[in-house]
Amino acid sequence: MGYAWPPHEAPLTEVLVVDDSKVMREMIVACLRAEVGLTFEHAASGLEAIERLSLKPFSLVVLDLNMPDIGGIEVVEFVRSQDTLRDLPIIIVTTRGDEGSRSKALLAGASRFMTKPFTPEGLLAEVRSLLGQGHARPQ
Amino acid sequence: MSQRLDVSEFLTGYLAEAEEHLAIARSCLTTIHAAIQRSELSPKSVRELFRSIHTLKGLSSMVGAEPIVQLTHEMETLLRAATKAGGDLPAGAIDIVVASLGAIEERISQVAKREPLTAAPKALLDALGELQFEGRPPSQKGTLDLDDETLAKLSAGEREELLQGLGGGRRAVRVEFVPSQKLSSEGFNITKVRSELTKLGDLVKVLPRSIPGAAGNPAQVAFVLLLVTSADDDAIAAACATTPEEVRAIASSIVPLPAASSVAMEATNDASGDDLERSPRQGDVLRVEVKRLDEALDGLSSLVVSRWRIERAVWKLDEEHANTRELKNLLLENGRQLRDLRAAIMRARMVPVSELLERTPLLVRGLARSSNKLVRLTIEAGTSELDKSVVDRLFPVIVHLLRNAVDHALETPEGRKAAGKPEEGNIRVTCRTQSATQLALVISDDGRGVDAARVAARAKSEMPRTDAELLALITRSGLSTLDKATHTSGRGLGMDIVKRVVEAELGGELTMQTERGKGTTFTLLVPLSVTIFDVFSFSAGGNTYVVPVSTVEDLIEVSSRSIVLAPNPSADGNAVRLLRHRGQTLPLYRVDALLGLKSSPAPTPKAIIVRRDTQSFAFEVDHMLGQKEVVVRPLRDPLVRVRGISGSTDLGDGEPTLVLDLPSLLYRPTLQGLAS
Repeated sequence: MGYAWPPHEAPLTEVLVVDDSKVMREMIVACLRAEVGLTFEHAASGLEAIERLSLKPFSLVVLDLNMPDIGGIEVVEFVRSQDTLRDLPIIIVTTRGDEGSRSKALLAGASRFMTKPFTPEGLLAEVRSLLGQGHARPQ
Repeated sequence: MSQRLDVSEFLTGYLAEAEEHLAIARSCLTTIHAAIQRSELSPKSVRELFRSIHTLKGLSSMVGAEPIVQLTHEMETLLRAATKAGGDLPAGAIDIVVASLGAIEERISQVAKREPLTAAPKALLDALGELQFEGRPPSQKGTLDLDDETLAKLSAGEREELLQGLGGGRRAVRVEFVPSQKLSSEGFNITKVRSELTKLGDLVKVLPRSIPGAAGNPAQVAFVLLLVTSADDDAIAAACATTPEEVRAIASSIVPLPAASSVAMEATNDASGDDLERSPRQGDVLRVEVKRLDEALDGLSSLVVSRWRIERAVWKLDEEHANTRELKNLLLENGRQLRDLRAAIMRARMVPVSELLERTPLLVRGLARSSNKLVRLTIEAGTSELDKSVVDRLFPVIVHLLRNAVDHALETPEGRKAAGKPEEGNIRVTCRTQSATQLALVISDDGRGVDAARVAARAKSEMPRTDAELLALITRSGLSTLDKATHTSGRGLGMDIVKRVVEAELGGELTMQTERGKGTTFTLLVPLSVTIFDVFSFSAGGNTYVVPVSTVEDLIEVSSRSIVLAPNPSADGNAVRLLRHRGQTLPLYRVDALLGLKSSPAPTPKAIIVRRDTQSFAFEVDHMLGQKEVVVRPLRDPLVRVRGISGSTDLGDGEPTLVLDLPSLLYRPTLQGLAS
C-alpha cells in the first residue's frame, strides 16, 4: 500500500504470478519458495496483471500464455509499450505444443520462455539469472 | 538435477480444477450441439471449450498425467482450428470430443485413486487426428464502428460475435474502464468490472489501451470493453465507474437477426440453470472443498455428543431429586440451536439434481449412436436438491439404468416399427422431492419390458408372480454376468450394484414396474442426505451397536415359547432356530455369533426383525438400549470396510459404535449365528 506513481524502488523483490489456474500459480510459487527475499502476488488473468502492473511496481512477472480475454503475448506486447515497464523481466510459462508461440513471445519482448512441465530448478535458475542481471528493481 | 515438482500437495487442487474444466467442457458441448441442430455457430462456446481443454493439458502435464496430455493435445488442435473458423466444428466432431472427455474423466479418476493411468485409446487419438481441418474464415455480415488499432486486435470470430445477435433491443457497445489506486482500494478492479459486465450481456473482448498522461504525467492504462447487451447505458456505465456518455454503440447490422439468435440462446444456457431467479448470481457462489464441510460436520457431531453427556448428567441430577427445570429448558433451547446449525451445514452440502442430470443427455446420445437406436431423452429435474454424498453415489446408478434402458430395453427402430410403436424410443427421467427427507427419482422407458419367463429360466428359479419378485431376481448378484454374456434379457446389467447402492448404501428403496411390450419404470426413493440417521442401540456379546430405524420392521421379545427348533441342513448337528412372528416363522440369528463374539444367552433377549427383499429375518440381541438420532460416518477406507458394517457413530461415551447392516451380516463367510 502507499505506492506513488511513478514507481520508485520496491522494498522487496515482488513477483507477479499470472495464470488463470490457481493450482498452477501455487505450483509456480512452490518452485520459487526456495529463493529468499521473494514475495508473491497472484493475478488470475492477463487483464488483472496489466492492472496491477499499472498500479504498483514489480520486480519480475511469471506469465502464462493462454488466458481468457487477452493472452500472455498480448500482455507482453502491452507491457513493453509502456515506458515504465520496458525493462521488466518477464518469464513466459506455457504448455507443450505451444512452441510456435516461443518466437512470437520472444519477439514481443518476453525475457525467457519455459514449457510446462518445468522443474523447480529450471524456473529458479531463470529467475536468479534475470534478477541478478540488474533487473532486480523496476527501472 | 531435473526433478519434477513434488505434485502430491497439489493433487487436490488439480482434481478440483480438472473437474471444473470437464464440467465447463460438457456444458460448452451441450450448447454447441444445440446450436448445430439450429444450424448456427457458437463461437463463444467453442472458444471456452478450447481454453478449458488447453488449461487441462497444462495442468495435467505438471502432474505427469501423460495420457490426458495426449488427448487434450489432439482436442486442442481441432478446437483451435474451429475457433479460427468462427466456431465451426466439422461434422462428427461432437461425438469424438464427447468420447475423449469420457476417456479424460476416467484417467482423472485414476489420478484421484493414485492408480497408474491407462494409455490414451489409440482409436480416439487417431479419430481426433483425422478430424483436423483448415478452418474457413466466417462471413462478415456488417461493419464495426471501431478504430483500426482495436479492429486489428479482434479475431474473425469475435467480429462475428459482435455483429451477430443484434436487434430485439440487443446492441454491441464499447466502454472504457480506467483503473486507479482509489478505485482499486474500493474493490473496483478490472476483474470486478468484467464480472459485472458479464451479468449485463456477452462480453466479447477486453483490450488494454495506453492513454497519454496529461502535462508531464506518465501514461495511464485503460481497458476497452466490447460487449453485446440489452442493458441501458446507465447500468453499463455504473459497472465501469464511468458516465453514460462514454458508452458507445459500435455495430450496425445489415440484416438484423431475430432476438432468439445463437448469442441470445447461449446467454440463457450460460446462466448454468434453467431457473435464473432461483439460482444465485455467479458472483455470490463460493466453491468449497467437501472436506471443509465435513470438518464442520465433525465439529457438529462432537457438539451433539457433548449434549448427550449433559443430558445424562441432568438425568443423574434428576435421580438425586435436584431441581433441573431450568437446565432442561436450556437443553431444549440448545437442541433447537443444534438442529438449526445442522440444517445450515447440510444445506451447504446440497447439490441441485439438475446438475446431477445435466451430463446424461450426452451420455444417452453416445449410447444411442453406438447401439443404432433412436432415443428421445426427457429430463424433468425440477428444483430438488440432494446431499453431495448422495449425488456421488447415485450418479453411477443413473448411468447403469440409462445404459440398460438404451442397450437392452429399447428396441431397434425396425423392431419398434414392427411392434407398432414410433421409431424413436422414449426415456424419461423425472425427479421430485417425496418428503422432507426423501427424493423420488423415476427412470422410465417405453421399450420391450422385462421378459419374466426368460429371467426366471436364466436364474433357474420359478416364475416370479409380481414385479417385486421379478426385481429381486434381476438384482440377484450372479445373474448380471449371465445376462451380459447373452444379451437376451431386457435388463440385468449391473442391477445388483444398483440395488446395493440404493438400498444398502443409501438406505433407500428400489422398485420396478414393467409390462411386456410397453416399457419399464424404475423408481428410486433415496434419502436427501445420508449422514444423519435415527438408530436403535442395542447390546450383543457385551458390546453396543446401532441399526438404522428405517431398516427395522419390528422389535419383539424372544421367549422360549416363540422359538421352534428345526434340523440344520448344513450337517454340523446344531438345530436351526426359527421365531414365530405374526403368523410367519423367521430364521433367528444371534448377532453376537454372527460377529464372531462369544455368545452367552441373556435372561430376556429381544429380536430385531429386518426385511430384505421379500424375506424377513430375526436377529437376537441381549438388550435394546434406546433410540437416538446420530451422525453416521461411513467407513470409506477399503481396509476397514467390512460387510455388514455400514459406518460408525458416537453415542456419547467417546467410543466409536458400529452401525450394523444386519441382513448383510448373513452373507459374511461365517454363518454360525443360525445355530442355537
